[in-house]
Amino acid sequence: MTRVASCLIAALIMLPHCSMAQSPEPIDFGRQIQPILAKRCYACHGPDKAEGGLRLNQSELAFEKLESGKQAVVAKDIEHSELLRRILSKDESDQMPPEGPRLTQTQIDLLSRWIKEGAEWKEHWAFVPPVVLPAPAVKNAKWVANPIDAFILSKLEKNGLSPAAPADKLALLRRLTYDLTGLPPTPAEVDAFLENKSPDAYEKVVDRLLKSDRYGEQWARHWLDVVRYADTNSFERDGPKPNAWRYRDYVIRSFNADKPYDQFVREQLAGDELPETGSDGIIATGFYRLGQWDDEPADRLLALYDGFDDIITTSSQGFLGLTVNCARCHDHKIDPITQADYYSMLSFFQGITPNGNPNPQVERAIFESDEAKAAYDIALKQHREKIDQTQARISAIEKTFRDKLTNQDQNLDQPDMDDLEYRFYRDTWEKLPNFDALKAETTAKMDRPFFDISPATREFSFGFVFVGTLKVPTDGEYTFFVDSDDGSRLTVDGKEIILHDGIHGTGTPQLAKINLKQGRLPIRVDYFQGPGGAKELIVKWSGPGFEQRYLSAMTEEGVKLADRRGKRRDFVTLMKSQGPTILGADRHKEYTALASELEELKKVKPAASYALCVTETGPTPADTFLLKRGNPQSPGDKIVPTYLSPLGGGKATIPSVGPNSSGRRLALANWIVSPENRLTSRVMANRIWQHHFGRGIVRSPNNFGLLGDNPTHLELLDWLANAFVQGGWKMKPLHKLIVMSNTYRMSSQANATAQTKDPLNNLFWRYDMRRLSAEEVRDSVLAVDGRLNPAMYGPGIFPDISDEVKAGQSVPGSGWGKSTPEEQARRSVYVHVKRSMVLPILSDFDFADTDSSCAARFVTTQPTQALAMLNGKFLNDQAAEFAKRLRKEAGDDLRNQVRLGYRLALCHEPDAKLIDRGLTLIDTLQKKHGKTADQALDQFCLMVLNLNEFMYLD
Amino acid sequence: MTPSNFCGRTRREFLWQTGGGFAGTALAGMLQRDGFFNSAARGAEGPAHQNPLAAKEPHFIPKAKRVIFLFMYGGPSHIDTFDYKPAMKGRDNQSVDVKTFGRGGHKNQGRIVEPRWNFKQYGECGHWVSDLFPHVATCVDDIAFLHSMTADSPIHGSAMLMMNSGKILSGSPCLGSWVNYGLGSVNENLPGFVVMLDPTGGPISGAKNWSSGYMPATYQGTILRSKGAPIIDLSTPEGTSRAMQRELLDTLRDTNADHLASRADNTDLAARINSYELAFKMQQHAPEAVDLSTETEATQKMYGLDNPRTLDFGKRCLLARRLVERGVRFVQLYSGGNHNDANWDAHGDLEKNHNFHAGNTDQPIAALLKDLKQRDMLKDTLVVWGGEFGRQPTAEYAAGTGRDHNAYGFTMWMAGGGVKGGTSVGTTDELGSVAVDSPFHVKYLHATVLHQMGLDPNKLSYFHGGLDQKLVGVEHVAPIREII
Repeated sequence: MTRVASCLIAALIMLPHCSMAQSPEPIDFGRQIQPILAKRCYACHGPDKAEGGLRLNQSELAFEKLESGKQAVVAKDIEHSELLRRILSKDESDQMPPEGPRLTQTQIDLLSRWIKEGAEWKEHWAFVPPVVLPAPAVKNAKWVANPIDAFILSKLEKNGLSPAAPADKLALLRRLTYDLTGLPPTPAEVDAFLENKSPDAYEKVVDRLLKSDRYGEQWARHWLDVVRYADTNSFERDGPKPNAWRYRDYVIRSFNADKPYDQFVREQLAGDELPETGSDGIIATGFYRLGQWDDEPADRLLALYDGFDDIITTSSQGFLGLTVNCARCHDHKIDPITQADYYSMLSFFQGITPNGNPNPQVERAIFESDEAKAAYDIALKQHREKIDQTQARISAIEKTFRDKLTNQDQNLDQPDMDDLEYRFYRDTWEKLPNFDALKAETTAKMDRPFFDISPATREFSFGFVFVGTLKVPTDGEYTFFVDSDDGSRLTVDGKEIILHDGIHGTGTPQLAKINLKQGRLPIRVDYFQGPGGAKELIVKWSGPGFEQRYLSAMTEEGVKLADRRGKRRDFVTLMKSQGPTILGADRHKEYTALASELEELKKVKPAASYALCVTETGPTPADTFLLKRGNPQSPGDKIVPTYLSPLGGGKATIPSVGPNSSGRRLALANWIVSPENRLTSRVMANRIWQHHFGRGIVRSPNNFGLLGDNPTHLELLDWLANAFVQGGWKMKPLHKLIVMSNTYRMSSQANATAQTKDPLNNLFWRYDMRRLSAEEVRDSVLAVDGRLNPAMYGPGIFPDISDEVKAGQSVPGSGWGKSTPEEQARRSVYVHVKRSMVLPILSDFDFADTDSSCAARFVTTQPTQALAMLNGKFLNDQAAEFAKRLRKEAGDDLRNQVRLGYRLALCHEPDAKLIDRGLTLIDTLQKKHGKTADQALDQFCLMVLNLNEFMYLD
Repeated sequence: MTPSNFCGRTRREFLWQTGGGFAGTALAGMLQRDGFFNSAARGAEGPAHQNPLAAKEPHFIPKAKRVIFLFMYGGPSHIDTFDYKPAMKGRDNQSVDVKTFGRGGHKNQGRIVEPRWNFKQYGECGHWVSDLFPHVATCVDDIAFLHSMTADSPIHGSAMLMMNSGKILSGSPCLGSWVNYGLGSVNENLPGFVVMLDPTGGPISGAKNWSSGYMPATYQGTILRSKGAPIIDLSTPEGTSRAMQRELLDTLRDTNADHLASRADNTDLAARINSYELAFKMQQHAPEAVDLSTETEATQKMYGLDNPRTLDFGKRCLLARRLVERGVRFVQLYSGGNHNDANWDAHGDLEKNHNFHAGNTDQPIAALLKDLKQRDMLKDTLVVWGGEFGRQPTAEYAAGTGRDHNAYGFTMWMAGGGVKGGTSVGTTDELGSVAVDSPFHVKYLHATVLHQMGLDPNKLSYFHGGLDQKLVGVEHVAPIREII
């Protein structure tokens, strides 16, 4: 790097902080000093190491006498501060840091200024409990509509600036309507507002918009960004997560109902552990399941911890504005978050079952009410009884048939199971793994309902899971027999009957007796064949009135033996051919009727709705250990649930919540939303501010730590956070407070003086213009052309995606459905979010990255956006719809059509120049390019939808 | 851009990143994009379009100016192509104790599948190449072979992400994104990071393989097609002529100009106006870039455009050359798409699979190397060849020649861009099952690419999620010195 460049950097580093300051402000330890120490000194003198006895990560340690007898930092005394002497030393064996480039002059100046000023070691603002100050006094008290204005104006006045003039009514209405609903105001709404001269006209609009269902759709999307919402899991299959959309709907409903934020957080983290939250409490915990996960990870243990990391990252950044995730492998380099903090946070989530789609552990049935649940339970019970009764009658006839057969014919394969499926796995094990957590190589129905390992594609290192239904003919005692090479497990009706695990040969059969009720019971066998040797699986059973029969396919030996006894017959074939003779025509007819009745019954299971949700392994999760260097193979100290140390810490008291989960998540949730927590309310108040002003008071909404931005108005943030909590954590009053302020109602017009003094608008001397978000672009186009379908909720929709885009998929088109044109015209928040293929019009305009929490979206300007807006099918189709609407609603007069076009898109009455320009375009296209009047109007509409004025808000 | 939101990240985070060592000039570029210099400095002359892909200075003088990554998706077998294993001769079907890990899980023994092709020595360096690549074999003196590559995953989904973005999890920017982030593009009429897919479809995980992850979409790969409109939405819709679109654009520009007049301080509005002009120019330049009719017959023949087998990949190799000539920084070509035998994933019949894919690509790849060389472009064009992993020495199934995935050891190669030709580095064991001598994890390959492009892999960072993220990860990673 050239000297010039490095000077440039130095100048730039100072710039944003100096740009509005008149005299040098005192050094800010956290912002200016700690990062230097962290970057250049901590490696040897920090949380991990204390060479020479020096640690620079804690104040008391930095000022201690060192092993050398010297002191690293002596307040106000540069001469005796060993830190500075070593940094400045010209002696190579003496100088610090011993490796890498020397500190820059700027860094040295900062350090010496800091020491000179008294080496104040000030705690970072975010870790200090907020102090709520009254709104400050201001000179221009007339401008203050509510305390927000006082905080803003006070700073402006101190810097010799004044707020911009009020925005004109039209700009304000458009800004407000978009901010609260994500849509443009309709011409009727514009007219009503412009005509209403009463002082409360604006407030009435605010109230109307906050009551609109569109509000929840707009603000839910902001939250969905934070929680990395998507409907699929990424990676090779990028398969749909079952019912993820219910979580999205829950968020929309919660915003519309103005659910208190503390409740909203509690439900997402621990709704299942809360009494009285009903189905919402279950759906909300879908929060845990929204992230990406690999269904076929190379390293399963690492993947498990990657899953925890995703939850820790999202919760700590999302709820607390802290990057706890940075402490996975070592203590946080800058913030006072230790590695123990990270694993403490993990311990709250330790009991969560792994992801899966499908996986019964990530879904639960949900009901609108307790009555609905009771009704469902009864229906299910009745259904089951009916099935069992039918089965009993079938079994009885089968027994009669069998008893009447000659001895020879009794040598037959009678299927005592049905609906048998197998899953085949390949890997090397020495004990049975948890097959449910692994991806099967093949999943298929067994042609014949016997446990059969012959579909294995290799001789060793594989496994099988068989799942089916056992037909128990009568109540009574049954004996099961399992012999296998290698390990196996037999499970009947959810209970483990026989475990014959490990590497071993056959010859040590395991027997178990068990009482079973008549009926159809789930049966399952897990089996694996180790790295070598023979393979075999034999399962048999006997019971009241029948001798031992095979449940597994016969081994070659068995087949030979049976063949020696005579020709084996297949029961099903035999019943078909000889049933009518042996049983009599009527009885056989009854048998076939019963069989088809059973098939019908199996199909009409009582329906329930399911939600993607969290589940735990039980009330006592596995122990949590600190993983050295983040490596799951290197567990260190045992960790118990403890709250984050920078926020006060303390061992968690875990409530008892019943048999399904540990209660730890509820403890964490309660701690996060306790009024004493110094971050939660500030973080959310900041997010609400952010989406009204385009940026937070803290510009890094997910990072309130030392690497984040300092708040431009800390006192205001604390005041807002306090008002938020005092108002019962309700969001709508906070919105109202903000949008009723004069700060919000300022014009976006520039002012030369202010722009020179504060080009970044740190002080809010005006309202910042903003571009529409991706969803706002798409939804506005649909709103303007009149096609927007306001239907709410339900499974994600699939707007058409071109074949060119689908060609990028490994199986073009897979995982993207087809919705009706009406469905396709619904709001963007309802579009199915497929991680590996986001709807182009949304991704073009900077849709949130779905793989990690998105605190603030990018706003890029690229030629590819222009291409999509000019040539893309969606825009051209919609432009044609727009033109259709104009012809329909504005009558035959072209001038009126053009006028209405502008009014709908830009929300105001166009002036003559604007209209004439549109008319000229239409005229030219017809005269010069031979277009029809309709085609020309289509092009005019396309032009309007491309206007900056359409895409930007003042 | 409204100064409020620094591309979604905060100014402080960007500045932190500069403290972390990102080059000053790149920083200046970014600040400029943010309108940092705009209001006062540019006020007088009016705002210009600020292109985040504007060319930026590298960290140091680069050896390579551009990269062509020939991605052999599915995982070609190293021991059947460039990693000669004479010790396996005559051992077909022998049972052997060898630890393997692929989609079929872990195994401790297996049945040897002897390499199915003959190897010969080529060039002055005498490197052994199998009969699968007779054309590439003639270029070995320009190639540096990396015989000891390793990766974290032998499963396509995560392994593809690792080869493209350095991580087994999705959400991180790809190599091409990093290069464009670090260097920008020198032709604003074309995308800086171009991906050309196999006609059978994209690779597994689709767009995740050219995603810019947590970086702005500006740095993501753009799909360029060899048939139809080269870029999505590039051609005007049916019934719209270019002249007609110009009329629309003129009206749009004039109307936008009026809107801008009272908002002149907002450079984003001007940038957006400009982006339409750029798009219009792109419509002209991109088709020119992909128009192969101006290439001589000899050139077309050299790339195999006269042969249906090599036509598609040959076309794309030739396009790659035309694109890098026009300033595209990073071009990635996929050989193979979709699933199973539509790519190099030879689980069933190894011979059929590899004969097919090598036969489709061998001549075009050699032509690309030779063509670049004859145009004196090979010296500063880095060509990378390889898949997301290699294949096992033993059979996957009880019968047949199919090989499962192998991330314990495999071969990739580089040519041009300052890489020493005729060299080989690292070895696998006698079966090719695992890298034994100087193993190189994927991150070393990435470090080497960045280094050749003049970027310090340990300095090129992007602040995200509270961390200075780097393509090569947290720990210091040196480029592979032996080949540069």
